[in-house]
Amino acid sequence: MRPIKSVAIANRGEVAVRIIRACEELGLETVLLHSDVDINTRAYRLAKKKICIGPAPTAQSYLNIQANIDAALAAGADSIHPGFGFLSENADFAEQCEKNGLTFIGPSAQAIRTLGDKVSFKTMAKKAGLPLIPGYEGADQKVETLLAEAQKIGFPVIVKAAAGGGGRGMKLINDKSQAKDLIESAQREALSAFGSATVFLEKYLGRAKHIEFQIFGDGTGKVMHLFDRECSVQRRHQKIIEEATSPSLTEDLRRKMGEVACTIATLGKYKNAGTVEFLLQDGEFYLLEVNTRLQVEHPVTEEVMGVDLVKMQILTAQGNFVFHPQDIRVPRGHSIECRVYAEDPYQGGIPSTGKIGYLAWPEGPRRRYEYGFESEDTITSYYDPMIAKVIVWDETRPRAIEKMIRTLKDSTVFGVRTNIPYLIEILDHEEFRSGKMTTRFIETYFAEGIKQKTSDDQIKKWAGVISKHVTETRQAPEMGHRSGPLSPWSSYWRGV
Amino acid sequence: MKPLNISIDGKERQVLAQVVEGQIWFRLDGEVYNYSLLDLKQSGHKKSKSGAKSPDKITAPMPGKVTKLFVSDGQEVKKGDSLLVMEAMKMEYTLKADANGTVEKITAKTGDQVTLGQLLVQLKLTEKA
Repeated sequence: MRPIKSVAIANRGEVAVRIIRACEELGLETVLLHSDVDINTRAYRLAKKKICIGPAPTAQSYLNIQANIDAALAAGADSIHPGFGFLSENADFAEQCEKNGLTFIGPSAQAIRTLGDKVSFKTMAKKAGLPLIPGYEGADQKVETLLAEAQKIGFPVIVKAAAGGGGRGMKLINDKSQAKDLIESAQREALSAFGSATVFLEKYLGRAKHIEFQIFGDGTGKVMHLFDRECSVQRRHQKIIEEATSPSLTEDLRRKMGEVACTIATLGKYKNAGTVEFLLQDGEFYLLEVNTRLQVEHPVTEEVMGVDLVKMQILTAQGNFVFHPQDIRVPRGHSIECRVYAEDPYQGGIPSTGKIGYLAWPEGPRRRYEYGFESEDTITSYYDPMIAKVIVWDETRPRAIEKMIRTLKDSTVFGVRTNIPYLIEILDHEEFRSGKMTTRFIETYFAEGIKQKTSDDQIKKWAGVISKHVTETRQAPEMGHRSGPLSPWSSYWRGV
Repeated sequence: MKPLNISIDGKERQVLAQVVEGQIWFRLDGEVYNYSLLDLKQSGHKKSKSGAKSPDKITAPMPGKVTKLFVSDGQEVKKGDSLLVMEAMKMEYTLKADANGTVEKITAKTGDQVTLGQLLVQLKLTEKA
């Protein structure tokens, strides 16, 4: 392994900024590989070099392997950090990087293939006797066999079309009495919808929590974990609020799950940062999948463990692994992350695009903001609607919740609507505060989004008074020298 | 940005405010609000653009791509029926009929990139809304 001098960043938004910061602190040069519309972003302004890899649609830019590699080589980079999403879990990309002499900052292509692929991951876990969600995927599709298997799994059981997806042909069997009818009906539906009557069975986890372990492989075959995160607050499988550590684990469970996480990662010869995901219900845990990359929610682990995972990724990629077991033995305090999305919380969360106006993330003790846009940047509909992550740390979970609510209330985004009011209501919900929330929390309590408490008439009245004031302030002669044409941007500021 | 001191409902309040692309944005008591300047000038309560909801005109509630069309010209639709699916920022959003009627005209096709407020489907309503 050779030392890294220049890192190409194959990503955008707040994670590109995060990587640039880590590189700067290590004295490395940064090359941002960006799409043509992303010149108006914070990462573009911070990166030392920038190369356009294509137009806005991701297939032509952020997902284009050749374009990313060509640009990284042209800029003289010796390594690529893929961030998360986009090409970060693409084994071909990792392979192409290495073939072209670029160090891929992450696991090997081989590890991405074995652990990232659901089938090979399940096979490996099963062989090692690790806990998977109980199920039946056998070729014998006789109703009697399926019935017996369903009983073996234990009700409730989900029966789903093997060829299906998106819930079609999926049925929930609550007890034995309905089992036969439902299995037969699922087979009929599967046949008519997908042309194959083959069905799978799986234990239904209706009150499960999403727990995951941060793992880190040192490159010599040794894997350790940096404790757990809980991400049960999800909307359509998209995480919204994450925390470290989980409020749901006993010391015994934490130790056992941590061991399973390290075992599967070691079997997959994992190096660098990764995450092992579990579902937890009634004190039983089940392996879900391995994410072979840095996670969006990595900051909460950094806060409770006192580490910098991105710097560690870069150092590990050049062969200088520096975690010592005694440094990562105990997590301290509690950390929460909220994802701020550009969406209208009062209209069921529809995306809100446009030019960002004034933006403020007020500092305070142990508040951390990760963001990729600044005032006058534009949120487009081409990419993910996440505009920032707000992270806090405090000594206990209740205090961290209070701090997060305070921090979100202090934050201001003008120009696009955000889910901040939605996040505040979730944090303040008694089930969230109790720590008992499951992955069905959002659909149970927030399926319809939230209601605007202030009436349109009231807002209009305030808006009238305030806009009049803003206009008058702008026109006041004592408000100082103004150059350039009058625009909404130069409007009221200059005078204040 | 420094807050302005403005008298609201008889009380002196601290307000952050800014005009961004035709909207007044302001922050009052820890909440952010916005209102269209054009709508402010008009009396009545109707909002312009996406806010101007007329049930016979199905318009794009956001800029994005039309990914699925469920209806065709002349088709009868009932209130609550799905008309089309739009995608923006990797999320899907289904547009539904707000009233009973028939499809008079479809002004977008699958794959179209559409702008906020653009007319997508024109309905002819059976009953007066």
